[in-house]
Amino acid sequence: MQALRTAATGMAAQQLNVEVISNNIANMNTVGFKKQRAEFEDLLYQTIVQPGSQSSDSGTVVPTGVQIGAGVKAGSVYRITGQGTLSNTGNSFDMAINGAGYFQVQMPDGTTAYTRAGNFSVNDQGQLVTEDGYLVQPSITIPQNVTNVTISQQGQVQVTTAGTTAPTTVGQVQLATFLNDAGLEAMGNNLFTESGASGPATAGNPGATGYGVVMQGYTEASNVDPVSEITDLIVAQRAYEMNSKVVTTADQMLSTAVNTKS
Amino acid sequence: MDNAIYVGLSRQMMLERELDIVANNLANVDTNGFKFEDLISSADKVSTPRAGGPSQALTFVQDGGVARDYSQGAFTQTGGPLDVAIDGKGFFQISTASGTRYTRDGRFKLDSTGKLVTQDGDPVQGAGGDIQIDPTKGQVSIAKNGVISQSGNQVGKLQVVSFDSLAALSKDGANLFENVSNVTPTPSTDAVLEQGMLEGSNVQPINQITRLIEINRAYDAITTMMSQTSSLSTTAIQRLGAVNPS
Repeated sequence: MQALRTAATGMAAQQLNVEVISNNIANMNTVGFKKQRAEFEDLLYQTIVQPGSQSSDSGTVVPTGVQIGAGVKAGSVYRITGQGTLSNTGNSFDMAINGAGYFQVQMPDGTTAYTRAGNFSVNDQGQLVTEDGYLVQPSITIPQNVTNVTISQQGQVQVTTAGTTAPTTVGQVQLATFLNDAGLEAMGNNLFTESGASGPATAGNPGATGYGVVMQGYTEASNVDPVSEITDLIVAQRAYEMNSKVVTTADQMLSTAVNTKS
Repeated sequence: MDNAIYVGLSRQMMLERELDIVANNLANVDTNGFKFEDLISSADKVSTPRAGGPSQALTFVQDGGVARDYSQGAFTQTGGPLDVAIDGKGFFQISTASGTRYTRDGRFKLDSTGKLVTQDGDPVQGAGGDIQIDPTKGQVSIAKNGVISQSGNQVGKLQVVSFDSLAALSKDGANLFENVSNVTPTPSTDAVLEQGMLEGSNVQPINQITRLIEINRAYDAITTMMSQTSSLSTTAIQRLGAVNPS
């Protein structure tokens, strides 16, 4: 019976939906996290009577046809890259991007990764690093005896050292943008890498056309909306239950058919 | 005598097919732009059940067709800038490898070259072909009539087409419909596009669960009828064939 397999595809799809929702809820408080959404599409159809086929010599056509679908599949798990709210941390190395763009991070293997999580610190050599200790690109070194660090909205990093009054510029934060940032590949630890779907990165200064601005002392919270996640969870659970009813019904019908022969 | 069993069998086969369709509806209860279906059964009259015998109406059950309900699904607000729902009649035009397809599923995104595509990567057709969007040129806004603009400059226009007869459409999977007749689609006049919204599936779960119960009970009933017919034959053979009928 096709119905059994069709209902199984429905249950598998809703299970995936719950997995995606649970990952969103688990990352509700992850800095720079972007929520994901499972997208479904119907599977292929078995055409038993083609709609529009001729039903007689005089040119009459079958008005509707008979097509039987085989269920549902997950088309994609799509990342929604909308802006998260900015929360004030007071830490002078924290940066949030308001608008488009990603910070560039140099991975230990030399490749570049991208992140929206701007909770940075300095390492023992005074270099600006992520919370895993990876260098932020282009690298910015904060000299010793610094009394004050200012990062402008355009990403210019200025420091005031003890004994001087005029600030000196020590670096420039750059952002990378993509034609399709939803196509970036997530690699965990709030990091993304370029993929065939995202298109190549284009680096630029914050505040330039098409780039967001940098807010010092803020981090970007996740863009997960708990209320909509919980309602999605309810929908997923009910849909799962309904598909399991189809399995029960198909099973009962098969049992009826089998028991006919006593 | 056997005719009762064959008529019952035709009904059983129909019920199994109906269950397949209900199963597909329920599997797609959360699929955007999905349109639910229902099997239409018809009576298939066979005038002479027996050659040479008295003419007696005998009616088998046959699947007449699958009716598709194109009513609008509920809208959900997503806030996605490239999510578009059609309020009213019409379909988006998608150019796939196997030809033009139509869909009401408006979850679009950009590919690596900035082209507006479906989730399977097939380009969405505008009034003048593919639609190119450069995300660095500002926020994308989609007007009610389909005009896509960025910072006040028009970059494309979504094309919504409608069909005089929706029977011309055949489902192709992946939320796409194929035009299998020679009906030419015309640009829709009454469709209103809503940015940041998606059209959900139009499956009514309560109706489908009720159908499940109906199918299950009808299958039980017809099976009981067939089994009674069969035991009638058994009894008849036993009685009539006995050497000393009591």
